[in-house]
Amino acid sequence: MHAAERALLEETVRDAVTRAVDAGASVDAVLGELGWLEMLDAEPRDAVEIVFTALGLANATAGVLDDVLAVACGVEPRPDLAVLLPRFGAWAPAAEAIDGEKRIDGLATARGATATDLLVVADDGAAVVPLAACAVSAVEGVDPIGGWHRVRGVVTGAAPVPVGADRWEAAVAAGRRALGHQIAGNGRAVLDLARTHALDRVQFGRPIASFQAVRHRLAETLVAIEGLEATLGAAWDDGTPITSALAKAAAGRTARTVATHCQQVLAGIGFTTDHPYHLYLKRAMVLEGLFGNADAIVLDVGRHLIHTRSAPTLIEL
Amino acid sequence: MEVAEFRAELHAWLDAHHHEVAPDFDPPGTLDQRIAQMQRVKGILYEAGWMRWGWPERVGGLGGSPMLRSELGATMAARNLADPGVYSLVEVLAPTLIDYADPDLAADWVPRLLSGEEMWCQGFSEPGTGSDLATLSCRAVPDGGDPDTADTWIINGQKVWTSLAQYSQRCVLLTRTGTPESRHRGITAFFLDLDTPGITVRPIEMINGEREFTEVFLDDVAVPADRILGGVHGGWSVAMSILPYERSSCFWQRIAYLYPRVQRLVDAVDEHDDRAAEAVGNAFLALHTVRARSRATQHRLAGGATLGADTSIDKVLVASAEQTLYDSIRKCTTGVMELDDTPLGDVARIEYLYSRAATIYGGTAEVQRNIIARRLLELGEEG
Ligand SMILES: Cc1cc2nc3c(=O)[nH]c(=O)nc-3n(C[C@H](O)[C@H](O)[C@H](O)COP(=O)(O)OP(=O)(O)OC[C@H]3O[C@@H](n4cnc5c(N)ncnc54)[C@H](O)[C@@H]3O)c2cc1C
Repeated sequence: MHAAERALLEETVRDAVTRAVDAGASVDAVLGELGWLEMLDAEPRDAVEIVFTALGLANATAGVLDDVLAVACGVEPRPDLAVLLPRFGAWAPAAEAIDGEKRIDGLATARGATATDLLVVADDGAAVVPLAACAVSAVEGVDPIGGWHRVRGVVTGAAPVPVGADRWEAAVAAGRRALGHQIAGNGRAVLDLARTHALDRVQFGRPIASFQAVRHRLAETLVAIEGLEATLGAAWDDGTPITSALAKAAAGRTARTVATHCQQVLAGIGFTTDHPYHLYLKRAMVLEGLFGNADAIVLDVGRHLIHTRSAPTLIEL
Repeated sequence: MEVAEFRAELHAWLDAHHHEVAPDFDPPGTLDQRIAQMQRVKGILYEAGWMRWGWPERVGGLGGSPMLRSELGATMAARNLADPGVYSLVEVLAPTLIDYADPDLAADWVPRLLSGEEMWCQGFSEPGTGSDLATLSCRAVPDGGDPDTADTWIINGQKVWTSLAQYSQRCVLLTRTGTPESRHRGITAFFLDLDTPGITVRPIEMINGEREFTEVFLDDVAVPADRILGGVHGGWSVAMSILPYERSSCFWQRIAYLYPRVQRLVDAVDEHDDRAAEAVGNAFLALHTVRARSRATQHRLAGGATLGADTSIDKVLVASAEQTLYDSIRKCTTGVMELDDTPLGDVARIEYLYSRAATIYGGTAEVQRNIIARRLLELGEEG
């Protein structure tokens, strides 16, 4: 995609998502009208980068992560197909195949409320089962407007399509990249809130943006976000699971850095629910844990490097 | 030549010539040995053409993208053929000469630096001038009083922390030529021969026991006017022009140097030690992040972008990655750098202690954050 074409698309998607959020309309429906699935098919990188960054910036609730995961699993995505997400903090499939049954206990996005079918990956392969065969309950948790669901059940008789372990690995990597972009967008939005506040808020006779302690917190936040964006670029260019894992770890760390510094700068006003900051924080707290938080991924990567006794450079010029 | 092709051919060549280029001492070796090694390898690589790729033809180069230089420097660092700390002066100073020196003089000098015949150093800091470079006071006055007609300039003052001046033939020196209040508008850069009478170089012992940097005293040092870089009072832009190279190829070399240190660590730790796994994972994440950033920066530079304040982000990331790595090494191999008297302990100590400078040289961590706040976040003036 050309730079100009991409910039235009970016603007269109951001506007549409923001308008949908403001109007309380379905973000999935709006993205569908913009040709999300066609874009995902034709230009997956641009599509995911643009759409998930926009979701993060607008703190939008959507189910398009399911489409990204379905494609990675080799299954045709559709708006009425939800995908079973791993349990919080984990990245192993949330279903076990035992004696022809699938025992399911995992999460779903906002699509858990509207889908008719559920894509379930277990050790014996992938299967599409009726969502009605599972117990689906809305989860409020820290992020009640996030549209999160818990999905449980025992499903019998679903014929699994064999999918190799590498497919699930690819789905985890794709999910991590998408969530990484959403966290980057979330972080940019929060940094913007904190920056604006720092310039507007006057204490001791001057804008708090003139205090070095405040400036350094915001600088630290920008460094984290730009570092995260670089790891996402590397993950797309490289395509192996480990670079996507590292990007998700960078995302998790970035979410914490953004929260620590920007919340401190926003201080009292940011501690109220009158200010939008809390919504971003709460969304990021959930996004951070999906497909593994930073600490878990870092430990996993560290174990892998030590086990293989190798520390490869992963990306080249 | 494409970067990937260059990399493949370079590795094949280095494999074939391993015995010629490898150091003839065990690590850490003395600083003298390491400098001699670097100059020797530069000579061999210059002869074979590798050292000339990525440099313009008018200074003896073979042309091509500057990324070829990054690749060569990184390969030398990763193979422990040259220490990136000392090698980086090539990247820092040759571009300055190319951009600011008289073209004939640049064509004469630059090949000497690249081929290992000479070393050059950078004389910016002074006892009273560190982060706030615009306050420097080492004075240069035109002989005879007229800056427009003088053939010779006379320099008096002192520089400090000048890395490797004791090994160098020449120095890019910043001097005060305006009034003391003129700050960055009254600075002039000279390309000084260090064997000029009146110059005294005294090595200083660093925190890790090495004598890598020096004090340089200048006492009525006479320099020809054609050694002015960037014109009278034009020194500030000369100093600033160093940034893009220091922040692209030098960082790429430093990063390449750090990966083998992670390798050493993963070879050393116990497979079932999750505390070590966590420390290794953290170091690897920090290093991967700055590698990803630096790669993107170099592609932007190669695509014609001008690098500026945005490279302060690269600088913060590289410094914190280096320190995170050495903190991890210290945590996982406790006792080695503190009390091991074998060469293993020597290497660990020297490198760990040196890594503490990553947030000091090339603009401190705080100064980078000031730049990010002022220029990238546009937070206005500091109060
Ligand atoms: C290993 C090494 C090699 C070096 N090699 C060279 C060389 O080859 N040539 C050369 O010219 N110089 C060299 N230097 C010097 C280096 O450039 C300076 O040390 C550096 O610029 C910092 O200056 P300073 O040490 O005087 O610290 P200062 O500027 O005095 O700073 C002291 C502390 O105050 C902080 N500080 C200062 N100003 C501010 C501010 N505005 N806001 C917030 N905090 C601030 C700093 O961040 C630092 O923490 C080298 C230094 C080292 C350690």
